Amino acid sequence: MANPAVNPVNKGYVSSRLSWLWSEYSVVIAFVVLLLFATIMHDGFLTYANMSNIFRQVAVIGIISLGMTVVMISGGIDLSVGSVLAFIGAITMIVLNDTGSVLAAIAAALFFGLFIGFLNGVMISKGKIAAFIVTLGVMAAARSLGLYIADGGSISGDVDAFRLISNSTLFNVPYPIIIFLLLTVLLHLLMNKTKFGRHVYAIGSNEKGALLSGIPVDRVKIMAYMLCTFLVGVASIIESSRLGSVSTSNTGHLYELDAIAAVIIGGTRMNGGKGKIIGTFFGILILGVLNNIMNLMGISPYLQGVVKGVIIIVAVLLQKRT
Amino acid sequence: MSDYLLEMEGIYKAFSKVEVLKGVDLKVNKGEIHALLGENGAGKSTLMNILGGVLRADAGTTALQGEKQAFLKPGDSKEAGISFIHQELNVISDLTIYENLYLGKEATTKGLLNTRKMIKETQNILDKMDVALDPKTYVRDLDTSYKQIVEIAKALLEDSKIIIMDEPTTSLTDNEISNLMKLMKSLKASGVSIIYISHKLKEVLHVCDRYSVLRNGEFVGSGSIRDTDEEQITKLMVGKELAKEEHYTKRPIGSSKLRVENFSDGTYFRNISFDARAGEVLGFTGLSGDGRSELFETIFGFRKQPSRARIMVNGKPVKIKNPGDAIRAKIGLVPKNRKENAIIKDMSVMHNMSVAGLDHFLTFGFIQSRKEKSKFQAYREKLNIKVSDPNYPITNLSGGNQQKVVLAKWLEVNTDIIILDNPTQGIDVGAKSEIYHLIQELAEQGKAIIVLSTEVPELQKICDRLLVMYQGEIAAELGREEITEETILLHATGSKREEYAYG
Repeated sequence: MANPAVNPVNKGYVSSRLSWLWSEYSVVIAFVVLLLFATIMHDGFLTYANMSNIFRQVAVIGIISLGMTVVMISGGIDLSVGSVLAFIGAITMIVLNDTGSVLAAIAAALFFGLFIGFLNGVMISKGKIAAFIVTLGVMAAARSLGLYIADGGSISGDVDAFRLISNSTLFNVPYPIIIFLLLTVLLHLLMNKTKFGRHVYAIGSNEKGALLSGIPVDRVKIMAYMLCTFLVGVASIIESSRLGSVSTSNTGHLYELDAIAAVIIGGTRMNGGKGKIIGTFFGILILGVLNNIMNLMGISPYLQGVVKGVIIIVAVLLQKRT
Repeated sequence: MSDYLLEMEGIYKAFSKVEVLKGVDLKVNKGEIHALLGENGAGKSTLMNILGGVLRADAGTTALQGEKQAFLKPGDSKEAGISFIHQELNVISDLTIYENLYLGKEATTKGLLNTRKMIKETQNILDKMDVALDPKTYVRDLDTSYKQIVEIAKALLEDSKIIIMDEPTTSLTDNEISNLMKLMKSLKASGVSIIYISHKLKEVLHVCDRYSVLRNGEFVGSGSIRDTDEEQITKLMVGKELAKEEHYTKRPIGSSKLRVENFSDGTYFRNISFDARAGEVLGFTGLSGDGRSELFETIFGFRKQPSRARIMVNGKPVKIKNPGDAIRAKIGLVPKNRKENAIIKDMSVMHNMSVAGLDHFLTFGFIQSRKEKSKFQAYREKLNIKVSDPNYPITNLSGGNQQKVVLAKWLEVNTDIIILDNPTQGIDVGAKSEIYHLIQELAEQGKAIIVLSTEVPELQKICDRLLVMYQGEIAAELGREEITEETILLHATGSKREEYAYG
């Protein structure tokens, strides 16, 4: 009690600044803490090889999460991403094998990404059906179509050049990582610096208000879902190139949950209007680092889901407090 | 032992460095309706939140029937007999009336709900209030005024001695308001005190017994309603003479900007045709249910347009399928119910200003925040928007300032025709007068302004011409000199019908 008269004004200022810092960057702070913890726990953690490994593992789901962030900020959700990834993967492989052209395969993947997103978006906006329901249906349908095309099994690619996409590097950095980082920057700009981004936030926060401000709500929503599954198309190319084949029953299984988890950990609000691409970026890194450190420490892979589950819930709990 | 039921003395409260209440007194008698008055931001809500236990005062005392109270949480003040009916009603639509009344304190026998007892008690209270409602009705099926009644019933069930009502009449129709007033008087007769917060001075003069006025967090006066009038109270609230201000300026009226022909949607309105001319302020009024808001929401493309209808802007027919089309046709709409329809609550003040006119801030497809900032600065000065940092969420602002930001949004879009639906809803005298000035200024620039309102003094102040609606039809056209409370009422109630000749 040497100096009880701490200026209350300053105290209020400092604490309000701190709570602002926490509410804006809690996910970054959590990530740094996790990074320190992992570095102390294991010598092999902070090496270039391991870091590049983590990034490569999260790149596919990371790219999907970026699109999921946009959809969730708009107040929707897309449960179909995992199945659509497998479906597009199957189509990509078929086009690749039939034409022998890598470009044709990529074009097919991106086209189907846009097309499925268009279907999702039209049913949700024009048909006024809840996003959860529409994408749940599409999730079931896309998985089933994929299985049908491949007769329940896997399709391998016959063109070696296609495998180079995921298995070559630029300045020693694997291409999937470069694509992921590049898309993160692009999506960040899109959401913060363009009309489309501003409109997505407005719709997620107050759809009627957005409509009465002249925002083309239906069109923006359709574009958000198209963007999301377009990115699933990109992710699908990377995934099938990396593995050289697509298993229509297993590929992309439960990816939607990991993507949603990354978005939520990143601080995006479940029912829209609030969220950040950067948050999702760190959200997916947190999941990646967690998996990695548990593997390094030899924790049973069966138990890793528990840790993930706890982290998701704790993340939301911490964000609620502010 | 003091004579007052409630005595608050020297209440002081500051948020970080901003002093909101600087030693305020409030004294309420038993069985009176006490008006708590002041402009937005005068500290009324803070004072009531302290009384309701939501906030804690930094200094000062609160006494009930002479006994000092320390309200630490909302439950404490409720227990002491104080109920707070907020502007946004706290009823749950998907429960019945009696379930709402007993929410959180359900009557049980042996762990099971005692439905019969709850229904009976609810019925008793409703009977006492003299309202014919079945306790088993779902609240979602009730009109707003009845939802208010459910809230009051809830307060009575808790045996409240003091009921705080914050702007209870903003979303009520005239008929519903008079019912509420009746109910308030009968509550008063049974010994309940009501603290009544409202911007509508007419109502205050009509129903209240005494008043207290706050200005900038200070107590500036109180007294008996019988000894005062609207002018004196306004003077107390604003701190300067403002009542006689002239808002109307004579200006040249040009040719038709907006022509609407044959609007009938089969539900809300029929045979609507009118012209709004350049430089004109055209009023629309009527009782609730007259269809005027629906009409203009349809013209603006928020609702589906009727097939045979025609809209002409500057003499050319336009097709409007959605609000975006309307804006491209140079029509803007400032909707009623700001909170639901106009503000984007997760966005900052500045982004709310720019959201409808983002095209003006783009360079190569990217939003230039510097342009946004300088534009906002211009509007802040022009409209006297009080905000310390434009990056704050819009919800930090008072109602009047929020409305100014919404107006700035439409000024930025810069349409030739501006429709304002209830533009001064829930905002204080000072901000109102600023908005009237702005409307005149826009008309002087040659825009066509359409104002939808039920406040007669407002219409008298600003309109060149007034169309009165009755059950979805235009019942009369009044020139500026003909606008009086009596003539409006005559036509709006359908007591007098004359052919409204258009063309």
